[in-house]
Amino acid sequence: MSIEELDHTADAKIRVKAGTLEDLFSEAGRALMQVMYGRPGKDGRTYPLAVRGDDLESLMHAYLSELLFITEVEGLVISGADLRIGEGFVEGVVRGEPFSMEAHNAGRGVKGISYSGLSIVHDQESYILDVIFDV
Amino acid sequence: MTMLPGIQRMSEFEWQVPVGYVPGMRVPGLFFLSESLAGTLEEGAVTQLANVATMPGIVRQSLAMPDIHWGYGFPIGGVAAFSRDEGVISPGGVGFDINCGVRLLAIPLREAELGKRRELVERLFAAIPTGVGGKSALRLSNRELDRMLLEGASWAVSEGYGIDEDTRVCEQEGCMKEADPAAVSQKARQRGMPQSGTLGSGNHFLEVQVVREVYHPEAARAFGISSGQVCIMIHCGSRGLGHQVCTDHLRTLEAATKKYRITLPDRQLACAPIDSPEGRAYFGAMAASANYAWANRQVIMHYTRKVLEELYGVAYKDMHMVYDVAHNVAKMEEHVVGGTKLKVCVHRKGATRAFGPGAPDLPAAYSSVGQPVIIPGSMGSPSFLLHGTSGAMEKTFGSTCHGAGRVMSRTQAKKRLTGKEIRDTLGKEGIIVKAPSDAAIADEAPEVYKPSIEVVRVVHEVGISRLVARLEPLGVIKG
Repeated sequence: MSIEELDHTADAKIRVKAGTLEDLFSEAGRALMQVMYGRPGKDGRTYPLAVRGDDLESLMHAYLSELLFITEVEGLVISGADLRIGEGFVEGVVRGEPFSMEAHNAGRGVKGISYSGLSIVHDQESYILDVIFDV
Repeated sequence: MTMLPGIQRMSEFEWQVPVGYVPGMRVPGLFFLSESLAGTLEEGAVTQLANVATMPGIVRQSLAMPDIHWGYGFPIGGVAAFSRDEGVISPGGVGFDINCGVRLLAIPLREAELGKRRELVERLFAAIPTGVGGKSALRLSNRELDRMLLEGASWAVSEGYGIDEDTRVCEQEGCMKEADPAAVSQKARQRGMPQSGTLGSGNHFLEVQVVREVYHPEAARAFGISSGQVCIMIHCGSRGLGHQVCTDHLRTLEAATKKYRITLPDRQLACAPIDSPEGRAYFGAMAASANYAWANRQVIMHYTRKVLEELYGVAYKDMHMVYDVAHNVAKMEEHVVGGTKLKVCVHRKGATRAFGPGAPDLPAAYSSVGQPVIIPGSMGSPSFLLHGTSGAMEKTFGSTCHGAGRVMSRTQAKKRLTGKEIRDTLGKEGIIVKAPSDAAIADEAPEVYKPSIEVVRVVHEVGISRLVARLEPLGVIKG
């Protein structure tokens, strides 16, 4: 599994690789936290989550958008997720720790998850996600 | 000079992206750029400009201002007008931060009279919640939030956060009448309630500035500013509420795109006919978010006035607001196209309205000059005050640039300079910077943006707005 920040002039462009879809979603969430707080959170609290989408890209869009909502409203810095992914849905729990100014480098807001440039490719070995966060 | 292939030069500063640059273009693209800025143009931004030209009902051209850069959906700096009858509305033409905008407050103090500058910056930073964790002192009920979403800046004034004159010098008097709070989801409300009256993070800031040079004395007089005067510039938007509205409606409009059989090259351009249930719902929610942003800037300006009142003994009512502009918004306007008045929905994404003399929706005091156009520089670089022109009404649906436009990615920026180095360098120039973390400063170093002076020079030369004054920073607070 890997998370890489690619060059993008205005926003944060991220590439995530993982062996399974479940890991890809969990890692994508960690990547979002890395952009927002300098690093993903630590385990501690959990929060339930369920989103729907017509295809894999819209599922990922809905999932990451939901994480933005959870991190902002619940103040949860997410460390990972235990998810079940089926036809048109993702459900499960996300794990994380409460936000603190000191521990999370004061944070950097992400305004939204862009559909532009969002792609998920599956080759023999892994899933590869490219996604742009509006910062 | 290097210009990307396939682009035609029309005049010194005007470049055309011909139909056919991407498949399905209905009209050409047109952008404004000087030779010295040509090297900063990204192919991705031109493709996005061309993509907008494929959308149904687009009128005349897909436009971009000289701060054009690669965004999502529309390019940043993008402007497009869509026919009210045959056109579409799209959150991709507005962005996540609905009514991100700028307001300028004139302080009756000269630069030499502004002592205690570090204390001023510290007290502003303490008074105005900033950054990701910044929580509002306001405690809004759902009902009060509804009023804020319906009434915009005048809600804040009615609650004691300003004076009646403020709303008169605000684009659209700080309120889009089409707001529909019912189209704003519970999730958006949950995000918006604790954030009203907060600055946010990223490129948002509050700056203490001095008017360093006046280029157009008559317009400066009309706007109530003079050389050597202290001003405050506030740059922020609709916070999590607007972001959630964009996210929510992107989903419904994606379904609508399929329903109305609209073919698009980019999912972020998801759209619906302006007069469809989905289009109306987005527009109503977007207008409510715009009102939230105006109320937000009004509350922040109130906190600012209180600090200045306490620190320098300046009377609250003597700090007069110059103007407030939105730079991420869609609006229903009338423009003359091919000699005929046409009702259009103008999308401005990272672009500022620049209505010229005599245009509708201008305060009486500014009617003969044109509306004030406030262009923030990047942190530590100059900002500019311009006025709208009849040239903008003819060429750009009354629009101009919105800022400097980035040229360096955040990953590159961080490799080059640390936040502390930038803070120290600006400190030597007499600019005090206060932010929740050095990381926030490193992201927004002056070097990562196009030179703001070159961007405004282009819009001035093209005549889509004209320079009035240059403002230079003395202190900055950042989120």
